[in-house]
Amino acid sequence: MSFFDRFKKKKKNEETAAPKAEAKKEAAAAPAAAAKEAAATPVGAKNPTTYPTADLGTLLPGAPKNGKINLAIYWAAACGGCDVSILDTNERVLTIGDMANIVMWPIAADGKEKDIEAMPDKSITVSLINGAVRNTENEHMVKLLRQKSLLVVCYGTCACFGGTPALANLTGGKDDILNYVYTKTPTSANFQKDCGHADKPVVPVNEYKAPEGVLTLPVLYDTVKTLDQVIDVDYYIPGCPPLQESISQLLKAVVDFVYNGVALPPKGAEIGVTEKCLCDECPRTKEYKRITKIVEPYQIDVDPDKCLMDQGILCLGPATVGGCNARCTIVGQPCRGCYGPTHLVQEHGSSALSAIASLFPVLDDDPTMDEEKVIEIMSQIKDPLGYFYAFTLGKSLLNRSVKEEKTA
Amino acid sequence: MAEKEFEPLIVTFCCNWCSYAGADGAGVARLQMPPNFRIIRTMCSARVDPEFVLRALSKGADGVIILGCHPADCHYIGGNYRARRRIALLRLVLEQYGFDPKRLRLEWVSASEGEKFQKTMVSFVDQIKELGPSPVHDELTTAEEHNDDVKSPVKEE
Repeated sequence: MSFFDRFKKKKKNEETAAPKAEAKKEAAAAPAAAAKEAAATPVGAKNPTTYPTADLGTLLPGAPKNGKINLAIYWAAACGGCDVSILDTNERVLTIGDMANIVMWPIAADGKEKDIEAMPDKSITVSLINGAVRNTENEHMVKLLRQKSLLVVCYGTCACFGGTPALANLTGGKDDILNYVYTKTPTSANFQKDCGHADKPVVPVNEYKAPEGVLTLPVLYDTVKTLDQVIDVDYYIPGCPPLQESISQLLKAVVDFVYNGVALPPKGAEIGVTEKCLCDECPRTKEYKRITKIVEPYQIDVDPDKCLMDQGILCLGPATVGGCNARCTIVGQPCRGCYGPTHLVQEHGSSALSAIASLFPVLDDDPTMDEEKVIEIMSQIKDPLGYFYAFTLGKSLLNRSVKEEKTA
Repeated sequence: MAEKEFEPLIVTFCCNWCSYAGADGAGVARLQMPPNFRIIRTMCSARVDPEFVLRALSKGADGVIILGCHPADCHYIGGNYRARRRIALLRLVLEQYGFDPKRLRLEWVSASEGEKFQKTMVSFVDQIKELGPSPVHDELTTAEEHNDDVKSPVKEE
């Protein structure tokens, strides 16, 4: 037995032992058989793993014995896609009504803030909150829901990592944003001009004294925050939006808990992600080519079988955690990293940065190359901060832009 | 109020094979250096994950310098070429964050170049003194600091 064979065998043993722990961690983990199959797959073989949809069985057997649970779904700074993704559970969403009273769901149900306030503490079993926190209203509502709920689930990338709204942290803050949006963008600049406000533009104020009384608007924050920077969170489901597979796993965990008393996953568990990176699920074959020219998918005929990186398309797959079953890369679009970093990494962007920077080949004149040339090579990547941190800026080590005092 | 002279805090990453020995050489030769830097030894300049640099800056380091073997001299053949590309890209990222990219530097110091090590560190400390304290000091966000002008109180508080 050679040294490498011994190593392989040891690794296999480790991996088959791992699913047991995993099954404990996630009540609705992959069946052990599938995990064993994945562990037996040799490195480099084109046999991608898939994240399973939970078996939800037949329809729910009516109301639970102890009466219906309360369910709240709330959106903070989000686009609404997360809410729509909940409807992706197909017919299952209709039967949720058998199990739960939806006490709040701004996009679909009628519950209001005062209804929630009137409820006793901890009377909502599960609150799904999507979106980042960026104004006083968001913060007030998520704190209120935390107070009234047993479980709070951080639903979607914006709630988990800040998502696209967190890119606003790279601007100069609240005033900068309001000024740009209400006076600089062509449509609003024209509007302000047409209404005769060009010299004194009208921008939203937090308080307005109308004859009938004072009207208030929520105050926008300078820094967009992730949900767990504001309140205590029990589970995370990343994704922009989370896929049906992830939602089914959560639903199964909750249904099992409500009907059969099966223990819930431990606090802080990430539901809907695997232990490995996206490349493990991507069916494309990798040839370990170096990038000499960066292209966008629309500029070339994307080869359906080869790795996107080998074709010169920047893909964040190597730095992003799996669980989405490579939805984007299968159809020839690069991964943009919405599922966030793998478990052992905090900085998603820097992890992607070092992976991608290493793909540039060592050139013949490298020993004598000067720094300008290196910067020229790396400048092929346009807007690196926006590209590598497109979804995770809110959770990164430096989560907002800084200002040098002395600018040379 | 007498203002104290600004003493920068600098994190230095030295590769095990060249620059760390170079730093050792500078010490053995008793070359005078400012005491503003702390050395962290890594096996190669390519071992310095961009995350290390960001973490140093986020915790208030005023500058980060990475020292490695000269090109074509890497103990691992090509590590310093990788490091060079990563650091160049990271400098572009730091510029987008609003940092002066001069706060991050990559230099080549071989095991025999104690004198170059000293010169590099003196010039880097001088440069950072000129740039002033890291902008992260007062801009570091725990978000609460930034929301002073919030009038309507959140009810639970």
